[in-house]
Amino acid sequence: MKRPVAVVGVGQTHHTTRRSDVNIAGLVREAVDLALRDAGLEHKDIDAIVIGKAPDMLEGVAQPEQFLASAVGAHMKPMLRVHTAGSVGASTALTAVTHVASGLYDRVLTIAFEKQSEGNAMWALSPNMPFVAPLVAGAGGFFAPYCRAYIAKTNCPPHIGPMVAANARDNATRNEYAHLREPMTVDDVLNSPMLWDPIRFGETCPSSDGAIAMVVASEATAKKGPRKPAWIKSGYSYAEAMWVPGRDQVSPRAGRVCSQAVYDKAGITDPWNQIDVAEIYVPFAWFEPMWLENLGFCAVGEGWKIVDRGEQKFGAHLPINPSGGVLCSNPIGASGMIRLGEAALQVMGRAGAHQVEGAKTALGHAYGGGAQYFAMWIVSSEL
Amino acid sequence: MSTLRNVAIVGFAQLPVVARDEHRISTEMLYPVVRQALADCGVERDAIDYQIAGSVDYMDGRPFGFVSALDVMGSWPPRQDLHLEMDAAFCAYYAWLRMQTGDCDSALVVGHGKTSEGEPDRVLNLQLDPYYQAPIGLDPTSSCALQASAYMARTGATDTDLAAIAARNRAAGARNSDNQVRSAASATELQKTPWAVEPLRKGYLPPVGESATCMILAAEGKAEKLCDRPVWIHGTDHRTEMQTLGARDLSRSASAKLAGEKALAMAGLSRASDADVVELYATTPVEELIVCEALGLDAKAARPVINPSGGPLCAHPIMSTGLVRMGEIFRQLSGRAGDRAVANARRGIAHAMQGHCLQQNLVWVLGTERRWS
Repeated sequence: MKRPVAVVGVGQTHHTTRRSDVNIAGLVREAVDLALRDAGLEHKDIDAIVIGKAPDMLEGVAQPEQFLASAVGAHMKPMLRVHTAGSVGASTALTAVTHVASGLYDRVLTIAFEKQSEGNAMWALSPNMPFVAPLVAGAGGFFAPYCRAYIAKTNCPPHIGPMVAANARDNATRNEYAHLREPMTVDDVLNSPMLWDPIRFGETCPSSDGAIAMVVASEATAKKGPRKPAWIKSGYSYAEAMWVPGRDQVSPRAGRVCSQAVYDKAGITDPWNQIDVAEIYVPFAWFEPMWLENLGFCAVGEGWKIVDRGEQKFGAHLPINPSGGVLCSNPIGASGMIRLGEAALQVMGRAGAHQVEGAKTALGHAYGGGAQYFAMWIVSSEL
Repeated sequence: MSTLRNVAIVGFAQLPVVARDEHRISTEMLYPVVRQALADCGVERDAIDYQIAGSVDYMDGRPFGFVSALDVMGSWPPRQDLHLEMDAAFCAYYAWLRMQTGDCDSALVVGHGKTSEGEPDRVLNLQLDPYYQAPIGLDPTSSCALQASAYMARTGATDTDLAAIAARNRAAGARNSDNQVRSAASATELQKTPWAVEPLRKGYLPPVGESATCMILAAEGKAEKLCDRPVWIHGTDHRTEMQTLGARDLSRSASAKLAGEKALAMAGLSRASDADVVELYATTPVEELIVCEALGLDAKAARPVINPSGGPLCAHPIMSTGLVRMGEIFRQLSGRAGDRAVANARRGIAHAMQGHCLQQNLVWVLGTERRWS
């Protein structure tokens, strides 16, 4: 990057099943107002807007950013709309970072949202694609074989998914914005219905309405702000083709390349010991051990052992998803940006009851498509 | 501005626009243009640092329509990548911005949309806010007609003026083998076509079609090696307006005006008429007149030449229409425009837009010489 960039404001809505008190514009505006207030800025201070969400079919509006232009304050400003499947929230924020890093913009507002109650995600995610067997099973049906493959490859015992889910639910009790704040025990999860073997109901993310907005700014403008900024040490988005013979869907190469790139740029050689907290994209519980390996926190086959030992719990060696993560709130298009925003809040020391004490370096991560799109950043309390 | 990096267009390929390609799905349409653009630059895929795609799910009638493009873009090993739910010209903007950070030196930009998978008018109606505007059934033709009425009321432009613009585009477009409509039509003939939505006649509207496009951008140092006549980006800017049609002066484009001023200032140009050739993303003669006014161009002047390609009135491959405008200026300034070449063209302007009634506008100022030394 040509010059340093920082997060200077974060605002997110409470995530819930149905926000019937606001329309899509109202939901998005709520996050925008919170982020601007957090940054001590007004719309006139913003140079450009970058907005992202998952498939337009989730709400039934094509390119909804166009009707949202006034709600987000984009009138007479540059605005880009990002869509990279599940990773979109994260790649949207990274697109905003590029705007500032380029030297052309000083303060950029970035927004991600999903109002799932406006439509039916199962329908929207179950299309009949050319040359692909129709699953009509949404994301869970698509990813269940990936989870089975992980279990088969690593001899991961059957209690690991439930452990991840129970831990996420426990974490979410401390996060006032989380959608699911009711604790579940491992037994509760094990006793919940099997939806797509091996994914049980309790190991599945909810469908949420929610939005998040952030302001990213140049070094000089960040230092003028009312808050201690979160400095972005590195951020990349990588994608890989679907139909590559022998493609490793359990530990996709794009995820490994992307995490290596962000570590290299941020000067991280030992992520397990140098990163204080990580917010990673876990829509189904089994993805937590998968990503622990893919992100280089441990060797291949060792991810589930970290979970088994509880080393990723709140207060343990490397807290993963202290917010409760995607398993407890999933406004799909916003979920990636929430991971990055939560990472920023942690290094700003402003994560509330789920603050990881003394967090200085944090990873925010998201993935999407058929585990093809990856976007992540490393943020730090120090420039 | 001196801190900006010189970036050039070094390659462009497109499929001829057709109403419906019955034999190929969108990835099959994209594959040959990616290979052709790479071959024209003489580079292997691994030598390109960044990739970005523009498409709209709704146009393909399915979610994640862009995911399959990864395969034909050569995304193995994994690539630094982004997808915008926008016309590919906006993707080129982001690729340019990304190069300004110094993080990458070259980019592959693609646009794809298979309009025949659905009904574009119904899809584009869904761009409008779902509470007030979309339910009344506005489609691009009817909202363009509202805009045309507003423009004609303000300026006194007549049906004859509109016919003259359409006829000029149609005459120029007859020379472009990539066009969907390749027949000239006189103003008189066009004025005899029936109303689509008054005051717009069927002869003043674009044929909607499908294509796939690929552009390669490269920064100074690399661009000269990939292309014997790179076309340099001198200035660019884009602006958005609120969507609400009733809250805007539809007879003008404030966002095109501001984007034009910013792009010209970056390019160090005092006026757009210093360009030799201009390509406008204008889907009606009225949009052409409004954008010309916003940019400070005279639509009737002999120079700069406007839309020597025939413009969107002869081919409107949604999601690529903006990138084609850039590609046409690249062809003009790099000596690839064949029998539609504008003599001694050294500087050009390409415009892209999207949304109803010119909601978002993007302006490029391009030239044969490097802008910054």
